[in-house]
This record gives sequence, C-alpha cells and structure tokens, in this order.
Amino acid sequence: IGKITGCVFPLQGAGQDVGRSCILVSIGGKNIMLDCGMHMGYNDDRRFPDFSYITQNGRLTDFLDCVIISHFHLDHCGALPYMSEMVGYDGPIYMTHPTKAICPILLEDFRKITVDKKGETNFFTSQMIKDCMKKVVPLNLHQTVQVDDELEIKAYYAGHVLGAAMVHIKVGSESVVYTVSVNKYAKSHISAWIDKCRPDILISESTYATTIRDSKRCRERDFLKKVHETIERGGKVLIPVFALGRAQELCILLETFWERMNLKAPIYFSTGLTEKANHYYKLFITWTNQKIRKTFVQRNMFEFKHIKAFDRSYADNPGPMVVFATPGMLHAGQSLQIFKKWAGNEKNMVIMPGYCVQGTIGHKILNGQRKLEMEGRATLDVKLQVEYMSFSAHADAKGIMQLIRMAEPRNMLLVHGEAVKMEFLKGKIEQEFSIDCYMPANGETATVTTNPSVPVDISLNLLKREMALGGPLPDPKKPRTMHGTLIMKENSLKLVSSEQALKELGLNEHQLRFTCRVQLQDPHSDPDTLHRIYTHLKSVLKGYTIQHLPDGTVMVESIVIKVSSSAEDTNAKVLLLSWSYQGGEYFFTALCIVKRLMYQ
Amino acid sequence: MDRECVSLLPRVCEVLAASGSSLPDDTSLEKLLDWFTGLTKAGTSLLESCPCLLEFISTVVHNTALDPSILSFTLRLTGFVAVTEVAFKVLQESSVLDLVFNLQHWQEAGLWEDPCIRIGWIQGLRTMMQHPKALSFFVQADFLQPLLQLQTDKSLFVASAANQMLAHVLLSCQSVSSVGSNDVDEEGEDVGRSGGSIADLEYSAVTVETNQDYAAVVTAISECLKKSLVPRENTQLHQSLQILKLLALLLAQTRPPLWEKLLQMVADSVDELLVAGYSQLILPLMDVILAAYSCDVNRRAPDQRVSRLLSFMLNIRKPADLIQAAAAFLRRGLHDLVHTAQSARVLLLPLDIITGLNLLTTTADEQRFLMMEQLKNKTSCISLICVCLTNTPQMTLMAADCLPCPPVLIVTAVLSLLKLCSGDSSSPSSSSSGCREVSRNVIGSSKVQKCALDALTALSGSPGVEVKLAEVFTLLVQCLDNPDSDPTVLQKSFQALVQWMSVCSDLSSITDQHRQDLLQVVRKRSCDIRWEVRDSTVEFLGRLAGVRVIQTTAEEASDASVAVLGGCCFTTPLLRAALQDTESYVRASAISALAQTLAASWQQGAALTQEQTEIVNQLLEVLSWDTEGFARRAVVRYFIAWLSSMSSHSCVQSPASSSLLMPSVRSVLSRGSADLDWEVKVHTLELAELLLDEAFSGQRGYTKGNPTQTHPYAVIPNTLHTRTHNEEDVVGVLNSLVQWGVVSALLSGLVDCDRPVALRACRLLITLREVVCPLSLGALDATAAMATVARVTCELPGCGWAREIRKMLVMKAKDANAEGGVSGGEVVNCDDCGEAGQEAASVGGQTPCVSVCEVLRSLDLDERLDVLTRSSDHVHNSPLSLLQDILTASSARSQPDTQQEVIADCY
Repeated sequence: IGKITGCVFPLQGAGQDVGRSCILVSIGGKNIMLDCGMHMGYNDDRRFPDFSYITQNGRLTDFLDCVIISHFHLDHCGALPYMSEMVGYDGPIYMTHPTKAICPILLEDFRKITVDKKGETNFFTSQMIKDCMKKVVPLNLHQTVQVDDELEIKAYYAGHVLGAAMVHIKVGSESVVYTVSVNKYAKSHISAWIDKCRPDILISESTYATTIRDSKRCRERDFLKKVHETIERGGKVLIPVFALGRAQELCILLETFWERMNLKAPIYFSTGLTEKANHYYKLFITWTNQKIRKTFVQRNMFEFKHIKAFDRSYADNPGPMVVFATPGMLHAGQSLQIFKKWAGNEKNMVIMPGYCVQGTIGHKILNGQRKLEMEGRATLDVKLQVEYMSFSAHADAKGIMQLIRMAEPRNMLLVHGEAVKMEFLKGKIEQEFSIDCYMPANGETATVTTNPSVPVDISLNLLKREMALGGPLPDPKKPRTMHGTLIMKENSLKLVSSEQALKELGLNEHQLRFTCRVQLQDPHSDPDTLHRIYTHLKSVLKGYTIQHLPDGTVMVESIVIKVSSSAEDTNAKVLLLSWSYQGGEYFFTALCIVKRLMYQ
Repeated sequence: MDRECVSLLPRVCEVLAASGSSLPDDTSLEKLLDWFTGLTKAGTSLLESCPCLLEFISTVVHNTALDPSILSFTLRLTGFVAVTEVAFKVLQESSVLDLVFNLQHWQEAGLWEDPCIRIGWIQGLRTMMQHPKALSFFVQADFLQPLLQLQTDKSLFVASAANQMLAHVLLSCQSVSSVGSNDVDEEGEDVGRSGGSIADLEYSAVTVETNQDYAAVVTAISECLKKSLVPRENTQLHQSLQILKLLALLLAQTRPPLWEKLLQMVADSVDELLVAGYSQLILPLMDVILAAYSCDVNRRAPDQRVSRLLSFMLNIRKPADLIQAAAAFLRRGLHDLVHTAQSARVLLLPLDIITGLNLLTTTADEQRFLMMEQLKNKTSCISLICVCLTNTPQMTLMAADCLPCPPVLIVTAVLSLLKLCSGDSSSPSSSSSGCREVSRNVIGSSKVQKCALDALTALSGSPGVEVKLAEVFTLLVQCLDNPDSDPTVLQKSFQALVQWMSVCSDLSSITDQHRQDLLQVVRKRSCDIRWEVRDSTVEFLGRLAGVRVIQTTAEEASDASVAVLGGCCFTTPLLRAALQDTESYVRASAISALAQTLAASWQQGAALTQEQTEIVNQLLEVLSWDTEGFARRAVVRYFIAWLSSMSSHSCVQSPASSSLLMPSVRSVLSRGSADLDWEVKVHTLELAELLLDEAFSGQRGYTKGNPTQTHPYAVIPNTLHTRTHNEEDVVGVLNSLVQWGVVSALLSGLVDCDRPVALRACRLLITLREVVCPLSLGALDATAAMATVARVTCELPGCGWAREIRKMLVMKAKDANAEGGVSGGEVVNCDDCGEAGQEAASVGGQTPCVSVCEVLRSLDLDERLDVLTRSSDHVHNSPLSLLQDILTASSARSQPDTQQEVIADCY
C-alpha cells in the first residue's frame, strides 16, 4: 500500500486562506512543491512561506525533488526568488515558457513596490530574480519531462491566464494532477485538454468554488458601458493596473470598442513595460485564449491605434481621456499621482480591476473611504466615482466538475477557498462522483492510500512449469495466482521456483514438520480407535487420498495420524498428527473431523 | 499611544464583535495584533489605555456564532491584555479569563475543530504566561493534558505552537520551583532562555503549595516525554518526532537540576529509540543528542551518557542514517576532536568508494560493504553523495589531525567524481566491479554535478590546493564544453573557474593549450541557444576582468581576463555582439561586463580607442531605444563606473577621455532622467551626484552624500576645507553643472512620482543649495558674491517636469505676495516662470530661464524632504490607517446598495 500526502503549506497561522498557494506533495518517496506564492498584504517575513516547517536541519535542496509553478500570478510564484536565492533551494524549478518569460516582469514590478516603501527588509534584488529565472526549466504542453528516473511531469493547458498549466505528476503507478483556477472555457480552446489519466488525487484551487458569477462577457460589457458613460459626460477614467496581465486584456477591449464606436477620446498607457508585455502576448499567441487569437488573425491586435504612451503632463489636459497607470493598488507612483489630480471631480471615475492590500489607497477607496489623509497631513476629498471589477478567470464549480469528469481522479483535494464554499463543493463532488474529497486547512496534511501495482519478473522455468501443469497462457487482462519464491534484489522483484531460489541464494533445503496432540476418551483399543478414525474420515473426506498403512498410521494426503494411549488410563487416547508445511492446507480439515469424532 | 487611535478603538471593537463574517482583508486582524504587540513591548498596559477591550473580549467570547478568525483573534488578544498581573487579575475577577480559555466552551460550540481556534488558544496562553499568576492559572485549570494532545495535532502550525508552549511552561516552572526550593544553580547559565520574560516572575509570591503544583507539571511533562518517545507502532512516529523536537528545545534551555532530571528520565527511551533505528527520526534524534551535548560541553566535563549516545549515532549501521548523523554533527561545528574526526571519516567514505581514491586509510570492512550496497541504489547514491559533497569544504578547514587525508586529495576526489558524472570512466574507480556499478549511478546526474561544482568552488579556499589549479581548469573547461551540461551546471562551472583563479592568483601553471580551450568554449557558449547560458558566459567575462592575477612570465599583475583570454581583443567583440542579444538580461550583463573589462584602461587614463568610442555610441543608443529597463539601467551604471574611475584619478579634465565622456554623460543625464524606469532614474541621479562630488569636493558647506545624515554638531574634518573656491569658481562650476544637465536632472527628479527618485533628487538639491546659496547667508543680493552666483540660470522648458516646477514656483510667489514678505519679490523676479511666461514660451518657442539659486530657495526643499522621508508608509502602515480601514470596510458592507463583493483575487 502506498501513500500520497498533500500538505497545504502557505503561511503561518492556521485556517484556510484565500489564494496564496504553496502545496507540498509527497508521492512515491518524492517531495514536490506545487507553487510558491507570496502574500502581498504583509511587509515582513509573513509574506513568504516559512520553509523551516519543512526542513529544520537539512537543506531544502536535499528535501525537495522539484518545484512546479502553475502560472505567473504572484500569489503562485512570488516567493520563488526568496526560496531559491535567499533560503538556498538549488534544485529544479518547472514552469511553462510563457510563465518563465512573464514571471520576472511581475517580480520586478513587485520589487519596485516593496523597495519603494520605507523599512522594507529581506526582499530579493533584481540579480536574485534573474538568477532564480536562470534555474527554471521551461515546460512544453503535453511533453513528458523526466525529473529523475522515477519522477515525471506533464503539463496541460489550463486557461486562466497566459501560460497557466495543469500538471500531471507521476511516480511509478501513483499520480497527482494539480490545477490552478481552471475555468470552464478552457476546454473549448484546445481540443486535447487533459487525458483520462485517473490520478490518485486531483488537487484544485477552489477560490470561486460556488460563485455562479455573471459571465465574463457581462462584466466586460459593464466595464465598457461605464467607461463610455464617463467619457460622454466629459470625465476622465483612471484604470490602475499592474504592468502585465489584465492590463493587456483591457487594452484590447477598449481598442476594439473605440474602433467600433468611432470614439475620439484619447487612451493612454503609462507604463514603460507595455511593449515587452505585448511582445510576449505575440510570442505566445498559441497560449492565449480563443478570443484574442481570433482577433489577432483579423488584424494585428497588439499594434494599438487608439492607445498611446502617456506623459505626466497629459493628466492636466482638459477633456475626457482614459489612462492605464501603474501600480494597480494606487499606493504610489504614477497612478497615485493621477488619482490625486482627478479625485476632486465627480465627473471622473477610477476603475480598480484587481485586488488591493490593506493600507493602500486602492483598498481605502474601494471600501468607500471618501476623505484620505495624504502625506504632510493634507486631506484629499474623493469625489470621483469608484468602481471595482474582477476579470479574473478563476475556477468555478462547473469548471472543476468538468475536470473531474475528464480526468477521473480517485480522490479530490480542494485548496484555497472559503471553508463554507468549499464544504458545498465537497458535498457536490462526493455526491456526483462518489469519490473522497479532502479540504485541509493551512498546515494540515491530507493522506490518501493507494494500491500501486508492483511489477515483478517471473522466471521462464516457473512459467513453463505452470503451462506443463495445464494452466492457461499468461494473459495481462486475466489476473491469476502463481506460486513461487519472491526474490527482492537491487530494486527489482523476481518470482522463481523454490529450487531456483535455493540455487541462486546458495542455500540447502530443509523440511519442516508440524505436530499436534489431541486427547480423547475412547474405550476401544488403539488399533480399533485408529480404524474408526480411518473409516470416519473415509466417509466424510470424499476426494481425498486416505490410506490405512500397515505400520499403524492413517494418512490423509500428507498428514500422518497415529494413536497411542497412556499407561494409567487406557481410555485416554492421544492422537498424534504430523504434517509438513506443504500439507498445511489439509490440516484444518482433518483437525475439524477429528474433533467431531471426539464428541461422538 | 496615539489619541486618535484610542478614540477609534471602541468603534472598531464594536464592529469586530458584531461582524458575522470575516473581514474582507485577511491581514487586518493580524496587523491589529502586531500593533498590540508593539504597545505591550513598549510597556503600555492595554487594559488601562483601552478599557473597551475588556468588554470586547467578554462580548465576543459569549458569541460563538462569530467568525472563527475573530474568535481566534480574541483568544490571542486576551493573552496580550493579561500580560500584566494587574490586568490578569481584572480579567480573572470578571470571570472572562476562565471562559476564554475554557476548552469545553469551545468544544461544545463545535469550534475546537477549527485549527485557528486551537492556535489562538495556545498563543493566547503563551503570551499571557509571563507571571506566576498565569502559570498557576494554567496549572489549576489543568491545561497540561490538552496541550500535550495538541502536540500531535494534525495541523503543522498548531503542533509546533504546542511544542513551543510546552517548553515555555516547563521553563517557567523550572524558574519558579527552583527559586521556591532555594535551589538555584548560581552558575547555571541562562542558555538561550526564552525571552527575558520569565526573569520578571515574582518569586516571592510563590507559595509552597503552588510549588508542588509546578513540580507536578514538571513530572507530568517528563513522564509524557518518557512514555511517548518510543513509538509503539509506525503510525506513532509523528508523535515521537514531536517529542524529540520538544526535548531538543528543552535540553538546550533548561538548567542543571531539571536538565539532569530530564536526561535521566528519557535516557532509556532514547536508547530504545536508537536501537529501533527509525530512519525518519535520525535527524531529530541527533538534534536532541547534540542539544544535550553542546549544553554539556559548555557546562562541565561531558556527561558519559551523552557521549555514549553520540558515539552510538556516529556508528549506526544503516549508511544513510549514519551519513545524516555525521553531517548533523559537523554542521554544529563543535570542538570535539574524536567525534569530528569520526564524522569526517563517515562523510568521506562514499567519495572514497565511488572514486576509488584512498581517502581513508582504514575503514571497517563491514561499514564499507554496507555503504557500497547502499550506493548501488541510484536514488540513495545520489542523495548520499550530495550530502557528503556539501560537507567537504568545511572538512578541509578542520584541524589536520581530524582529517584522514590532505585537502588536496579531497579536491582530487571531487574532480574525479565530476569526471564520472560526465561519463569519463578513466578514473581509478574502474578497478573494482562494485565501484563501477556504483559510479554508473552518477553518470549524467546534474544534481551531483551541481553539488560537486559548489563544493569545488568552496574548496578553492582550502589550504594547499593551489597545485590543483591546472587540473581544475582542465576539468571545468571540459564541463563547459560538454553538450549535455544543463544551464545551471554551466553557470556553476563558470563561477568555479573565476573563484579558483581569484584565489590562486598565480596562473603560471596554465598553459597555452588551456587558454586555447577556454577561448574556444567561451566563444561557443556565448552563442548558445539558451539565454541562461549566454548570460552566464557574459557574466563570466565581466567577473574575470575583475580578478587580479600574477603571471610569472610577465612578473606583473594583470586581470585574469587578460591573462587567460588575451583581454579586450577577445572579450570586447564578444560582448559587443551580446549587446544585440534578444534577451534583455543578456544585454544588461554584456553592458556591465564591458564596464568591468574597460575599467583597467580607464584607470590607467589610456587614450580612447576607436572601438571604445563606438561602444559609447552603442550604449547611448541602448539608453534611448532599448525597450527594457535592465539594459538601460546597466548603461547608466556603465557611465557611473567610468566617471568614478576617472574622478578617482582626477582626470576629468584629461582631454583624451573627457572629450567623449562629458558629452556622453550629458546625454545620459538628459535621457536617463526622462526614462520610464524608476531605477534608471535613480541611477541617473547617482551619476549627477558624482558630478556634484567632483565639482564641489572641498567646497565649504559641501557634504558628500546625504545632508540629513550629518549630525549638526559633528566635527567636519579639516581636509574638507582645504580647497576653497572663490565666487568665480562657484559660478563656473554651477554653470558647468547647468550645462551638463545636472540641475535639470535634479529638478525633474524632484517632481517624479516615484518616491525613491524624488527623495534622492531632493537630498541632492539641498546639498547643492547649501553650497551655492545657503539660506544662512541671507538674501541673494546680500553680498556681491551671492549676487554673482544668483545670476547663473537654467532653462525650464514648457512641458513635463518643468511645468510642475514652474507651477510650484508660481504658487510660492503667490504665497509670498499674499504675505507681503520680503522674499516674495525675489521669487517673482523670475517673471518668466509665471503663467504669462509659460504662454509666452510656448508661443514664442523660446525656453525661459530662471535663476538656479532662486529656484533652489523657493522650492521648500526641506519641507518636501520631510514628507518624502516619511513616505507613503506614514499613511498606509499606521495603526490609525488600519483602524480606519476596518471601520470603513464594515460600513461599506452594512450598506446593501453599495455592497459589492471585493474578492481577494490574484495580482
């Protein structure tokens, strides 16, 4: 019996935690870390996973066999440079090509945010990000990668964001599939989604496990409507974004809309990284979703006609405009500067397309704070409209159910979701698929037992002998029992005949005989008693070879039965039974019968 | 404590006590506790300053329908509140304390299942347990049993916290009971006692009665240790593991009477555990023994039991366990000749076997046989070899009598292992079939290769290994040439090569053939298909240029790049080609490497070659056109390196280079300060600072670097005053600073939206102001000299940053006019910068000029510096901001019309 354990291992503190991924899986003696995310809400070590819980003594490299990153979001890869360059993990790291290309951009972006703040310590440098990325081994879709002799991984398309992947991890006959936020759209994009690989466990994120969210298209329409209305009434729209990811999607949306509606208001993009981001989207066009690809075929979508580079002086220009500016949480830099300029006018609007950590202006205004204390004790009156839109393509219940149907896992492990919602999904899965569904809290381990098949070689002699005895030819589809001696040597198992085993091991054969004494009261003489036993056995044991031998013994197959009586009491008879270990199977039959005899 | 915070806290408490669901931001509660921790550490009594907390705790604890995270928070908060005895009493009298920590209460509510309640319970108790009253509370409430159970909790975090807590309890009991029974070991050192808090215990308050209770706790814990240490079946291994962790904590921290007692209690169980030989427990077991041993060594003559255990561990039969134990011992770095030597022998055995080199003169045949068998398994072979390799560098630094062979032989072993990895079978190990079988396991293993290369790099510092340089060189070049090497192996090979050359500095053993081979391989790798490899190659070229070596033939020090690669004529073309690389990381590395390669010629003040001129032009192009920050940052750093190497040799005025350098610096300043990348801008300001340093070094009032860091009463070294400039000098220097674009760069930085840029610019502007027109000297026309300086002007073009500066000037002028102050007239003096001026400029196409001094004096730099130094953190990370956020979040949720699900989704 094998064991696979999955330990949800994000940050300190127990309980479920939404979205910060770091999972440790032990399978077939291999330890694999799935994702290595960070928590952006903290300024100290709490933002990274505490690896001392994994290994206190040895090095992380000795303990872990590999790290696999599912996609480029920082809550899945943000702690990677910390782990590889500061904690000192030196083993292989796997992620897809697009993820490898985009990861450093986001890590750089976040490093900027961090060093921008005062009192930040223990954060990685640019050089560390580069050195970390140099250790990454890129994965291709549907290509099996052999991590070592026993461990292999294979990546599948997961939708979600550019470059996101599901991974199938296999050690011997045990396997695990890990998927982040897979959504139901993913399947339509690429025909070969995931094989029916029947993993022992399917690990899935369940952030939006139950939310029946309005479709992405609805949200997009809503977004365009809001932008359009603001522009129509002469207002300015600020969209704080991070350099890469959602920004590109929103740019494409606006560009297409502007084209269709023949709008004239300028759209600006303030970050210097757009070109690089667009470059990646072009490079990895096969990875993007169908919609982007379709548009790309029609015209070169990344050469925007309406979107132009932003100069800080434009913020004061009169008239409507839309500006994409970094950073996305409105806590510093350009986006904050523009926000300060525009906040006082109720005609303007700010659209927050992502998560904002506590303490940032973004967080404050999303919660409805209307008076903000700025540097130097100045107060800022927020009169502009504040909108929040989530465009992320996380897993929903439908996507997860569909995935289970495709992959047919034996067990399900849900991570990262609110407990109540996860409980609901768990019930649904257990009901529909009759499989066990685990949902460990942070720091808890879920263990699943497996029945791995162990390959054994059979000696030709043994097979021949079986065939000589009239057995059927070996057939992989029909399991059958074989007798022989199992030799375990140098990691391989071999079934051979006992003679061969003796020969190979250089041992002599020894015979074992077992004896047993049964007392009974019988007034007859010893030979009579024996004869009574013989006739009785003969009557009940049909089909057995039973002999009454002239030396005063009865033999049932190889079991020898003798009778003797004690000198004092001739009525007290002692039955002596003796059998070799091969005869063991008849012994119980014979014993039962003898016992019945006693009570007659 | 901030009055505003105190006034907000009651409302925050109300909100928390009433909220049925968790807060939208999962960090809020944690940060709130951070604030309370800070207050408690500062000596504030929470109950006194925030009386509302008592009511909050008692309300929450009765409302089990609340979100578990709020309940957990309350448990932990209670710990902070009850940290002082007075507050503890108050809580106890109001019977809040009993309920908060009442297990049954939580179990009945069905909440104990939630790990966050369990961890809250432990942490709350742990925080509170700083005084004898809390300890009595713990003892009387009989919390020991549940705590012992939590030690094997299914949550990693809960189990670990429970272990810490148990250690804390035992140590607290130790202090109290040892004082109570007048049995203090005066000489007993407080080895790593947990915090200083226990020292605050009021010993006198302890009664004999409670003393017995404590003794009972100590006994109960030690009994549990003894009982649960040895697992009855495999499923109990986890429990043993936890007990071992606790034991290690305790043995490292307890003092003699208890220490002895603990050791005596568990000695038999530890023996039993050793004999049972659970591999999973080897490391924790070793921790326990080493904790006892090092404590012991520090204290007095080693305890026989502990020494025996240690010897036992270092002679275990299972090879994998043995290696683990030996490595653990070496890691501790204890001064113990016998055991150190034994560990070294153990760790060298696998290397001895696999390489066939006689590293060990004697080994027990049985041990060798077992190890050999273990090494025949590929997976365990690789992991064992890696552990051994990791420890080799430390071994070679040990005293010679601990080491069974000279360090040189260990280097040879690592080299022959590397050969095996790349499939070279000509090593001595081919002698025995067993060795051959073992050595097959490492062929092509990049894990072993990486470990071996790391070890080799570290071994360069071992005594007497220099003789191996040529051999190391050959092997590394082979590694670099091997088509199967993965990028990390190549990177590590390059690093090892640089390291060996820098340590050995004497390169006389390197032959021409060596050089040829390296040249070839570098050329090959510089156009590898993988960017990682190209980057490592380019980085190597740069690093090599920074290594000083001696070549016996020339008897002259040069850099390693010259010595082994022939210097610039080989490297520069390669690096220039790398400037065109598709990967920006490689372009950036190439630029840095060029700077390192050319550093020598800059320092010698050599005339510029045509090639160098071309490079400069190429770099300026990169700065203008490269789409990525890394390369552009590197360009600015290149000029910083160039300029600083020139100024350190005082040859800014040297015509040969300055004819190119200064115009280039000028364009770097203008392009760099308009860059989109904040780090390019910061580096540009660094360049500007260099120019300021150079221009004003020695000038009165000029302090290099950060003006705010100088203490007002600090003694300024006389040397700074030796070179005095007269007014003409200052005017001249200021004029050239304006011409070079330093002033514009600083001004544009000042209004930059990235705080690090603005902060740096602001500091530099203040520095500049203090030199050319210090405020202390009065009005700008106070002296003729000042008036001359004030006539130096700079341009303020009509767009971007300059517009912001102008606005600031206009505002200042308006303010000054409104006040009717004396200085007002002066600022308005720059008519051009008024609104009218702006328009005139844009209409006429002329760029208006302003007096530098006036600008410097009108920008309120000191006030700005103050704001910038405080940074946005001043707003964001304050407790006040946190409390406000919690309040607004709750009010947003209570209004259904504005309610929107703000989902904590991805980045």
